[in-house]
Amino acid sequence: MSLDTATPAPGGAGETVRQPSPSAVTKADIARAGATRRRNAAKWKLIVGTICTLLVIIPIILAQVLPLPDANFQDLGARRLPPLTDGHLFGTDQLGRDLLSRVLHGGQVSLTIGLLAVLVSGAIGIILGAAAGYYGGWVDTIVSRVLEAQMSLPLLMMLLLVVALFGPSIPVITFVIAIAQWPEVARLTRSMVLVEREKPYVSAARILGLHKIQILIQHIIPNVIKQATLVVLLLLAQAVLLESALSFLGAGPQRPFATWGRIISDGQDYITTSWWMVTLPGLVIVLMVVGVNLLGDGLRDRPRRKKKGA
Amino acid sequence: MTNYILKRLGQGLLTVFLTVSTVFILIRMAPGDPAVSYAGPLASNEQLAAVREQFGLDKPVLEQYWIFLQQLFTGNLGQSYSFQAPAMQVVAERMPYTLTLATAAILLTAVVAIPLGVWMSRRPDTGKELGVNVLTIAGQSMPDFWTGIMLLTGFAVLIPIFPASGFATWGGLVLPTITIAILQIALISRMVRREMTTNLAAPFLTVARSRGVRSSALTWRYAMGNSAIPVFTALGTRFAAMLNGVVVVEVVFAWPGVGSLIVRALETRDYPLIQATVLLTALLAVGVQLLIDLAYPLLDPRVRLGKAATA
Repeated sequence: MSLDTATPAPGGAGETVRQPSPSAVTKADIARAGATRRRNAAKWKLIVGTICTLLVIIPIILAQVLPLPDANFQDLGARRLPPLTDGHLFGTDQLGRDLLSRVLHGGQVSLTIGLLAVLVSGAIGIILGAAAGYYGGWVDTIVSRVLEAQMSLPLLMMLLLVVALFGPSIPVITFVIAIAQWPEVARLTRSMVLVEREKPYVSAARILGLHKIQILIQHIIPNVIKQATLVVLLLLAQAVLLESALSFLGAGPQRPFATWGRIISDGQDYITTSWWMVTLPGLVIVLMVVGVNLLGDGLRDRPRRKKKGA
Repeated sequence: MTNYILKRLGQGLLTVFLTVSTVFILIRMAPGDPAVSYAGPLASNEQLAAVREQFGLDKPVLEQYWIFLQQLFTGNLGQSYSFQAPAMQVVAERMPYTLTLATAAILLTAVVAIPLGVWMSRRPDTGKELGVNVLTIAGQSMPDFWTGIMLLTGFAVLIPIFPASGFATWGGLVLPTITIAILQIALISRMVRREMTTNLAAPFLTVARSRGVRSSALTWRYAMGNSAIPVFTALGTRFAAMLNGVVVVEVVFAWPGVGSLIVRALETRDYPLIQATVLLTALLAVGVQLLIDLAYPLLDPRVRLGKAATA
């Protein structure tokens, strides 16, 4: 039916006016096509991911401004109140502290650690990975061996070991998480740089007499940084989970910092009588991590926009 | 082949050696005194000195390392401070529990994740696939200790179907296994989907289809056959990682495995016990890695081990 529209008939008097269309593919076909559905799914993931992430992050940032009781204010007369009573949206814990306030303030610590750790691991991973990929030779050998060795080490056990031995301060924990995460960034950056360095623009730059380091920093890294940061975003989700696991095992930042893992481990003893003390902080973690993961997925699946003029 | 195995064994043992040496150095570098945690905070200086002498902690670090190396080669890492028994024996007694849990978890993961990943790869970008996809994202976003506590409350306390902790009956295995498997299923099924999507779009598959190969054979024999190695490697690596103790889950369910043991050993600064745990788990993990590599030719006849290693 749509095939005969290829030749528009000017002045076809008796015929009903048929919209000329250059192809047999209808709009319905396009809407049903895999590429469209993929784009829509990516868009959907981006939107939902952003909403979930912001839903957690904005209150955390505003924790000091929001009209909440102090996170460490104990009211022994209001112990273990269920959610939505007396203005306690998330209820209170075994010492009568407002759970929402604790979750938000704890989130500030957890998120700070996560962000710092990801920044450090991203920087180490990109620098070492790019160096290994670009220089090759002994630089590559050393970096690759260290990567392999670390991959075969018992990760959580080593983290626990370091934290147990050097004390659970925020810098130690941040550093430990960063060390745990840099291999992933480094491997990806290395493989991308391996591809980039064979491209003509690199030879051109070299012939123009640019220094190796200049080529690497000015020309190669900008071409791989986008994808590398995408992985770093996904690592943020992992960093938050890792920090909460360490806190849960008692290897997190010590009091007065109530991080997410600590709040859950504190609430564990009261799970049968006060379900909210474990359930709600956990849901907050899940919401946030799902959000970040969806965001990362959506960004990855999004069809790449062509550069103008390319 | 023999050369390859010997080479890999050598590399593996070197990794294990470096690991235990790193741990040895870390332990000595760190602040804190095991004598204090052994004798208690109220012990007098004489008592502390006696404890240090008893455990050989008064000797220079290099001499301690030399003794440690000798112990390493005789397989006797000394007495655990807190268990008053040979450290290796304490760890060895707990190893079967971790092995059981890890095996159960990896089997459940394989049985669920592979079909799930294949199912997703066969209907890409549909509403159903998106739904399952989001579920797997949720699965990898839940902290395992939280999932564990939730399952524990749900199915051991509120509806008491399974025992809450320990490993007295086989029922005790169910909840920890599920807790571990949720995360693993999410990760592995996404990986299977990725591998299968690539293979299902490959030219050899189009050729096979044009020759009239049935759809199920296309999926399982042609596409899955080519995804077998990466999927198997991923499963094996996850399994090896679990042998290092599924620390968090073991703590939540009071599982008597090495994961909960290491937490205790670290708290009490039980040097021999820490060393023994690290040594045994690292050995096992390296062994499993080697077995995975040796299984490659079975999965893919094109693989020749000696040559693959250099590629």
